[in-house]
Amino acid sequence: MKNFTHIDAQSIEHTIPLLDYYARPLAGGTDLIPLMREGVWQPDRLVNLKPLADLHFLREAGDGLHIGALTTLDELDRSPLVRERYQALAEAAHSAASPQLRNMATLGGNLLQQVRCWYYRGPFNCWMKGGDHCPARSGENEHHAVFDQSPCVAVYPSDPPAALITLDASIRIVGPDGARSVKVADFLAPPDELHRVMHGLGLNELITEIVVPHTTARSLYLKAMDRAVWAYALVSVAVAGEVANGTITNPRIVLGAVANVPVRLGAVEALIDGQLLTDELIKEAGTMATHGMEPLAHNHYKLPLARNLVRQALRDLTGQRM
Amino acid sequence: MIEQGQTTAIELSVNGHRHRLRLEARRSLLDALRIDLGLTGTKQVCNMGNCGSCTVLIDDQPVYSCLTLAIECVDKQIRTIEGLNENGTLHPLQQAFIEHDALQCGFCTPGQVMAACGLLARNPHPSEAEVVEGMSGNLCRCGAYRGIVQAVLAVSAEG
Amino acid sequence: MPKLIKSEINVEGRITEEYAVVDGDELAAWGENEELAIVGQPAPRIDGAAKTTGEARFSYDVQLPGMLYAKVLRSPHPNARVLRVDASRAEQLPGVVVVLTHETAPDIKVREGKLPLLPEDARFAGELVAAVAATDPDIAADALALIEVEYETLPFITDFTLALEGSAPKVRPNGNVVSQPSVTERGDLKAGLAVADVRVELTVRTPTAVHNALETHGCVAAWEGDQLTMYESSQHVYGVRTFAAKKLGLPVSKVRAIGTYMGGGFGAKFPGQPYSMVAATLAKRSRRPVHLMYDREGENLESGYRGASVQHVKLGAKRDGSLTAIELDGLTECGSYANWVVSLGGPYAMMYTCPNVKLTTTGVHTNIGPFQAFRAPGFVEGMVGLEQGMDLLAEKLGMDPLELRRRNLAKLDQSEDKPFSSFPVEECYRRGAEAIGWNKRKPTNDQSRSSERLRRGTGMASQIWWGGGGPPAYAEVQLNGDGTATVLTGAQDLGTGARTIFAQVAAEELGLELGSVGVTIGDTYAGPFGPASGGSVTTGSMTPAVRSAANDLRVQLCSIVAQLEDVPEEELEVRGGTVYRRDTPVSSVKSIMRKLGDVMLIGKGSRGPNPSDVSVVTSGAQFAEVEVDTVTGRVRVIKIVAAHDSGRIVNPQTFTSQIQGGIIQGLGLALTEQRVIDHRAGQILNPNLEWYKLPTVADIPEIVNLLIDIPDTKANSLGSKGAGEPGIIPTAAAIANAVANALGVRIFELPITPARVLEALETIA
Repeated sequence: MKNFTHIDAQSIEHTIPLLDYYARPLAGGTDLIPLMREGVWQPDRLVNLKPLADLHFLREAGDGLHIGALTTLDELDRSPLVRERYQALAEAAHSAASPQLRNMATLGGNLLQQVRCWYYRGPFNCWMKGGDHCPARSGENEHHAVFDQSPCVAVYPSDPPAALITLDASIRIVGPDGARSVKVADFLAPPDELHRVMHGLGLNELITEIVVPHTTARSLYLKAMDRAVWAYALVSVAVAGEVANGTITNPRIVLGAVANVPVRLGAVEALIDGQLLTDELIKEAGTMATHGMEPLAHNHYKLPLARNLVRQALRDLTGQRM
Repeated sequence: MIEQGQTTAIELSVNGHRHRLRLEARRSLLDALRIDLGLTGTKQVCNMGNCGSCTVLIDDQPVYSCLTLAIECVDKQIRTIEGLNENGTLHPLQQAFIEHDALQCGFCTPGQVMAACGLLARNPHPSEAEVVEGMSGNLCRCGAYRGIVQAVLAVSAEG
Repeated sequence: MPKLIKSEINVEGRITEEYAVVDGDELAAWGENEELAIVGQPAPRIDGAAKTTGEARFSYDVQLPGMLYAKVLRSPHPNARVLRVDASRAEQLPGVVVVLTHETAPDIKVREGKLPLLPEDARFAGELVAAVAATDPDIAADALALIEVEYETLPFITDFTLALEGSAPKVRPNGNVVSQPSVTERGDLKAGLAVADVRVELTVRTPTAVHNALETHGCVAAWEGDQLTMYESSQHVYGVRTFAAKKLGLPVSKVRAIGTYMGGGFGAKFPGQPYSMVAATLAKRSRRPVHLMYDREGENLESGYRGASVQHVKLGAKRDGSLTAIELDGLTECGSYANWVVSLGGPYAMMYTCPNVKLTTTGVHTNIGPFQAFRAPGFVEGMVGLEQGMDLLAEKLGMDPLELRRRNLAKLDQSEDKPFSSFPVEECYRRGAEAIGWNKRKPTNDQSRSSERLRRGTGMASQIWWGGGGPPAYAEVQLNGDGTATVLTGAQDLGTGARTIFAQVAAEELGLELGSVGVTIGDTYAGPFGPASGGSVTTGSMTPAVRSAANDLRVQLCSIVAQLEDVPEEELEVRGGTVYRRDTPVSSVKSIMRKLGDVMLIGKGSRGPNPSDVSVVTSGAQFAEVEVDTVTGRVRVIKIVAAHDSGRIVNPQTFTSQIQGGIIQGLGLALTEQRVIDHRAGQILNPNLEWYKLPTVADIPEIVNLLIDIPDTKANSLGSKGAGEPGIIPTAAAIANAVANALGVRIFELPITPARVLEALETIA
């Protein structure tokens, strides 16, 4: 790992002017340190955010759940509040990585996790790293996208954000011009020519908190992996909605690991909204979930997997047994 | 602030002992323990947070020391495998690992024992499923997993 | 009197005949009903405290005064000529002590005994190009970044299935076939296929599997004058000595090799790999000890793997199930360098009776690092092909797959026309079938129409392997002044429990308590020659030598006691640390030795010859129960029942651990592990533990290890054989058969990932 200057953050205000392309914020380090060891990123300066105690909280207010950016995935997983009211978020946090990594990784950092694509992390000057093409597109793309959203076919790797989107969460961001708030669904966006990351955080901005609006919806998160634990999702699904008498109203369904960003299934939501979830409707919902998917050479399986997971999630949410 | 390429003097508390070190900012806690302090019980295997062999406790929480910068551990209590049997007798987990043959080559063992230590500190009486869950951040290539789960359950039952 | 004999040496299936010198006659084997107090009893491993406290010092952990840390620069190209290396900037970096490039490397030939230490021709991405020794590992890494290398890139081929096509670039001057295809033939294959009532044909693929021992390859090299000490993570410390002495032109007496503890080998850590000579050279040039341990990426790029295989299989049988023909046409991936080729045909040739057999294995060179033996090389892959073929045959015959195997079980070693010393596979089948509940297994064809989300299936596979060991192997046992004994040998403990069973055997034979026997191994300056720990030979080779040494010592002790106490020697025996005359205690060993002061009694022993009239093998079977989630496509193994004959079980606890370890690696091969290569770029995409997925604790099934425990009294004086490899041989095959049983559709390519399960389910939907 290349040497760097290490600065302990003293306050959010003190931190913002320090940040730029060469100076990155460091929280849990579970992504940044490996990126630096791999040489993918070589910042000159790291600003350690961990001293900022005012970014480390988890509390419920009138408008919902406020999660400080430094809250660890483990704290989300273990919070009775999150477990009871925002199940999808707790389940997504729990399904991520390993216990030790969850002890270290923060929600703010998790939102910013770089793609795990083996070309991006390996000795390839891929498009995401500033190169001119994506070697995964016609290469080994078993773990890659089935929606074509940008020149890059890597999938967004983090689990909790899909849950956050189903829960309609927002992110509070502080930058040189003050604070702003953005929906997670809008914050995560496919990369483009000039902006080769999958999120909308400026180089001199910080995530300060994540706000999940108060909800009476039931929610859950399902994740398919190729081993029992400690793997990135092959496909995941987060579902939320008001459940009564075999129906889901105001459903929100989000697929993970199928595209550059989590994908909200608006058509499926419209299909089932308020309808009695018969076996037939559930099947149709699953089939519809795969509409528009264009698998690459090695990831056809993501279609049946997405279809199955959506069906299973709807059954689980409404308490139906298969 | 530590300038690029410079070292800084820090004090680390490892197993209750205070150590003065001069380190670069990039030094991982794992390298500081092994190279600078000669505490080679904590193992280096992947150096990328993918295996668990470098697990230590920081303020009672199991973490991967390979992803932790040593200079960020000032004012924290670091506990390593060397700290478990300091009074000369084996820690109950160490004893149980031996009794249940929860090891073969032994290279992952310190990390496993520390992960188990962290698990029991938080949850003294875990179910088998909770043990599996709590130990799932530590790979063992020899395949001593059954013994590992049994050893942790045995200590839980005693305690 | 020492005797010179010729003996077959079998390391991982590579059989050679070599001389061995043995001392006198082998002791009579302990009988089946021998009353033994310590051997056969579970005993916690004697190095458990060292390992659980972190005090066990592995090669990686060795720190010597003045020690430098070395790092290596690897070729980024799969095939390239190194035109120019400029290390001047690296050499000027403060803290850098030595830089080694092909221009400055000594004339030491390594790979295949003929290729330069740092070759100008880099034949795989990851090949060594330069090495740096510096005062700190971070400085060494900084220095690597300052070395400028100019390469001429050359055409390459990394897909072994395409490497034999005429248009493929040649990896080696002689082409891409490793030496020549190995062919095992008996009878008349064509005639055998012609007379068959039923034939099956299948193509099976197994993936590249990487050992990924948690301690990487490497060593610490330290010179004192003209004497070299190598602390190497090795499966053969004596081999490290021989290799270093030969390559460096030193007398073997000047080389000390130490491998007291090693963090896993699984076949990849036999001596002879370049890094140890790089370390020795850097240490020589710097006149300081040098620590050169690979990182995880280097481990994956350079240090070996189980080559992928493609097996085209044809089986023919009569209506009653009796096999008439077995044909294998197999390819195995060997990478850029190879001295040998694994035997995919081994299980096909040995497991079942069949008069007409033709088995071809072709080893293929590619521009990937060299393969290495990996726990039952060839046999694990071969069993995956053979045993899926047997299941298909059973389906076609409408016969229970286990019954088909029973009817065909080998009756003798068909390659040598010799009976087996012991081959209790029927017993393994019987007990295994009972433990898994085989009679409740649903027929495979019924399951494809199931609408259940979770589908269960049961499958099984058989096992055969060598593992009897043989000479040369030597041990000493010393009786110390306090009545304790020390076993000394140059053998090593890879984590198998070898150290512990040596103590058990010595304590048994000497009549001492287990706690009063220490074991010093893994150091060529401490103990006599021990064999390479590979091919499951350590138990079969070493325990008779230890027993023989302990027996020699016991005879000496009784003789001394007879003289000391003036009693007839032939009436003396030692039990539980006390010398008895008939049943009357004479004196404790401790007080006898105290009386003698600094006297040390030294027993010597060696492994006797193998029997010439029987073939010594290990054998057995495993049964797997799986549950396939048709929603996620994930296969969960619920239970594995293992029944293996390894002769007398010296320590049921460490034996069980060995079997479990084999099963878990087999499970990884079956379900999660595979190297991924981008063949366009010639690059391995997952040289790490993130995407090369080892099984975790949550992937582990219930494992029932049935102790067959029948002493193989013809094999050696213990009646014991190895357990390192048997456990992995049938696992992947049994799981593949169980998955096919659960789904009603067979997946012919391992690993059986969710992707493959989901795609297979789509085909029958």
